[in-house]
Amino acid sequence: MRLPFAEPTASADKMTVRVEQLGVRYGERWAVRDLSFELAAGEVVALLGPNGAGKTSTLSVLATLRRPDAGSASVGGFDVASQPERAKQKLGFVPQSVALYPTLSALENARFFARAAGLARGPARAAADQALATVGLSERRDDAVATFSGGMRRRLNLACGLLHAPAVLLLDEPTVGVDPQSRERIFDAVRSYAQGGAAVLFSTHYIEEAELLCDRVLLIDEGRLLAEGTPAALIRRARGGLRLELATREPLPHGWERGLSGVEPAEPPPDSVGLGHRVRLHIEEPAAAARVLERVAALGHAVLELEVRPPGLQQVFLELTGRELRD
Amino acid sequence: MRRLGLLVAKDLRLLLRDRAGLVFLGLAPIVVITVAGLSLANLYGSDPTGQSAYELPLVDEDGGPLAREIARRLEAEPALRVEPLASREEAERWVRDRKRAGTALVIPRGFEAALRAGEPVSLVLYTDAVKYLERLNVRLRLGQIRDALAAEQREAAEREAQAKRDALHLQLSGLQTAFEQARKEASTEAEQARERALASARREAEAARRATQERVDRAMAAARAELAKSVDAELAALRAPLRGYLDLVAERRRAFEAWLAEIQRKAGSHAAEIPPPPSFPELPPELAQLLAEGSAPALPPLPALDVALPELSLPPLPEPPPLTVPSLALPELPGPPGELRIEEVDVSGAGATLNTFDQNVPGFSVTFLLLGMLLGVSMGLLDERDWGTFDRLRSLPVGLGSVLAGKLLARFAVGVAQMLLLFAVGRAAFGVSLGPQPWALVLPIAGIAFAGAAFGLVVAAVAPSRESVLPVGSAVVVSMAAMGGCWWPIDLEPRWMRRVALAFPTTWAMDAFNDLMIRRRDVSRALVPTAVMTGYGLLYLAVGIALFRRRVERAP
Repeated sequence: MRLPFAEPTASADKMTVRVEQLGVRYGERWAVRDLSFELAAGEVVALLGPNGAGKTSTLSVLATLRRPDAGSASVGGFDVASQPERAKQKLGFVPQSVALYPTLSALENARFFARAAGLARGPARAAADQALATVGLSERRDDAVATFSGGMRRRLNLACGLLHAPAVLLLDEPTVGVDPQSRERIFDAVRSYAQGGAAVLFSTHYIEEAELLCDRVLLIDEGRLLAEGTPAALIRRARGGLRLELATREPLPHGWERGLSGVEPAEPPPDSVGLGHRVRLHIEEPAAAARVLERVAALGHAVLELEVRPPGLQQVFLELTGRELRD
Repeated sequence: MRRLGLLVAKDLRLLLRDRAGLVFLGLAPIVVITVAGLSLANLYGSDPTGQSAYELPLVDEDGGPLAREIARRLEAEPALRVEPLASREEAERWVRDRKRAGTALVIPRGFEAALRAGEPVSLVLYTDAVKYLERLNVRLRLGQIRDALAAEQREAAEREAQAKRDALHLQLSGLQTAFEQARKEASTEAEQARERALASARREAEAARRATQERVDRAMAAARAELAKSVDAELAALRAPLRGYLDLVAERRRAFEAWLAEIQRKAGSHAAEIPPPPSFPELPPELAQLLAEGSAPALPPLPALDVALPELSLPPLPEPPPLTVPSLALPELPGPPGELRIEEVDVSGAGATLNTFDQNVPGFSVTFLLLGMLLGVSMGLLDERDWGTFDRLRSLPVGLGSVLAGKLLARFAVGVAQMLLLFAVGRAAFGVSLGPQPWALVLPIAGIAFAGAAFGLVVAAVAPSRESVLPVGSAVVVSMAAMGGCWWPIDLEPRWMRRVALAFPTTWAMDAFNDLMIRRRDVSRALVPTAVMTGYGLLYLAVGIALFRRRVERAP
């Protein structure tokens, strides 16, 4: 799907976003350190990392909201520190919070941000109408945003970032708290917009989003770039085999898995996740799962839940940091 | 500029959608002004609505005209509501037990009589010390009535004394006139009697004189006849020889004439050369008449012997002794002792009494203006930050300066409109004075709106969170409003506090409003306060922008 209102301005330089040795500091703490990456036109890139990894700080620098404390960043060929006004012409920013006026209607919000982005009155009206249609809010265009559901607000939030057809779209956690239907609409809009030639950089801590939506993933933690590549390439870097997660009513005794062939203990899951007492294991093949179940049954424990998954970005992050993305 | 207008329009639209905000800006201050104005009316001594009048129980034991006049005047006081009571005990209960009044007035029996007798007498005022202000107000008004009555009584006594003096003077003057009249009449009577006596004497004397004159005239006529007879006899004796001589002379004259004619005839041609002869004298007529028979020369009249009476006169009557009424120079009445009055001359241009709303309308308007700035500018900016719209706008070609300017400009316009609305309501509902140049109020209104908006930016920059805006901001606003004289006259504050208050724009705003509205001065009195408020506004603006920019740039 192409967005009829958005014809992104492609840059002569294929790399529309360039970040070099970026550093962002709050007091003595570096939120981002030595971060370098690039985005090409038409590319959808995810900044994937847990909370506090430096995703929002990185996007803030690119959105010209704060100056870098080290390194440099440019958008559309314009340095965000020395040419912020030129850079602003090229970027569209969708903040993590729903950056809308709750007492204004969807249409009033869209028109206002279109005018604020520099569109004249007529084009602003047209862009607002089309944006609302694209995110499926035309029927609610005259309703106050305060009456919208979370998903509708997120969709309008995205629409207001696309009104002036920026060459670079920066999305900060665009799907937080939205329903699956709204998430799909948002994904559709982002994909469509990128197909129009825009570079899209969005931050998320949802692995599934990164895997589904992105051409490339920047895996970051504690302000540093851990790994970079397509989701498939990153997953290939992960350890082979399958991942088994088991839940029992009572805790299993220490060393219960010893002697099982093709089975090795994995990192324990967070305490708050799932039902009962959970353990994680690496298994070399699906048949090893049957052996695990037999051992548990032999120990007199009832299995509440069993999950076997192929390796993913979660595992990549786990192997790189020793922590889960959701930690 | 186009984007600035866009941001201003957006803020105004947000405000219009915010019913609670509109109520706070418009209705809430009107309610507070009304409540505060009526509550504090007695602080200013005037409540145009009469709602806050003190109840004043009145026991009139005297019942005289003066007591009734005191009661009437108390009832005419808009700040008092007189409640006639029958007894002192009831009045005490009103003050002490029921607490319906802070004071009660007793006019004791014999009050007026004692006053008229010049004896000391007192009005009795039952008071509740807790109700200090009420007691002061009642005493003030009672004192004013007492002074007015005393002055009127004094003037009436002076007028009465003067009238009596004038009447006495009039009586004395009448007496003097009556005396003078009697004296004149007596004198006239005496003169007339004298004249009558004199006339009678003169008549009698004249009769006697006439009789005497007749006798004299008769004697003289007889004497004259005897004399004429004697003269005639002597003349007759002389007349014959004289006639003879005269006849001879006539004869000789004729002879001469004949002789002469002969001569002339004989002279012939020479007769003309003969000179004429001398003529004979003619007989004098007197002599001819004397020679006429029977004529006698008239005797010379005898001298008239007039009998004359000496002029009769009476010696003048002695003047009656003057009846002078002694002039009773009435001594000046001692009069009452001098009266010590206080003449109040208002040199400020204000009226004798203030309308409580003249103070409260601008005062609470300024207060709510500043509170509105806290909500509009401070919380508005923090709302934008929390919503994320602030970051979104900053990422657009708008800029931090435009975002702040739009917010301040919108709230400045709203603040000015709010003040104008409140002043209009104050004028329409409470009759506040807008001064001789109502348009001049725009100057301090604009000054305080600008300073308030800029102050809101400072609060937004220093308040750590949205929740802290009201505690932090309202504490400062309330202090500035209170110390600046927005809630009560600044003169109630100690001197040091008044000096400190000069550091607040509220103080200057109230100074300008008081000058223009209450003291009825012209626009020139608003220039300096407006300039000071503008200066404070610029200072707040500079500090606010610097702090806010710093805060934004350091935000995580």
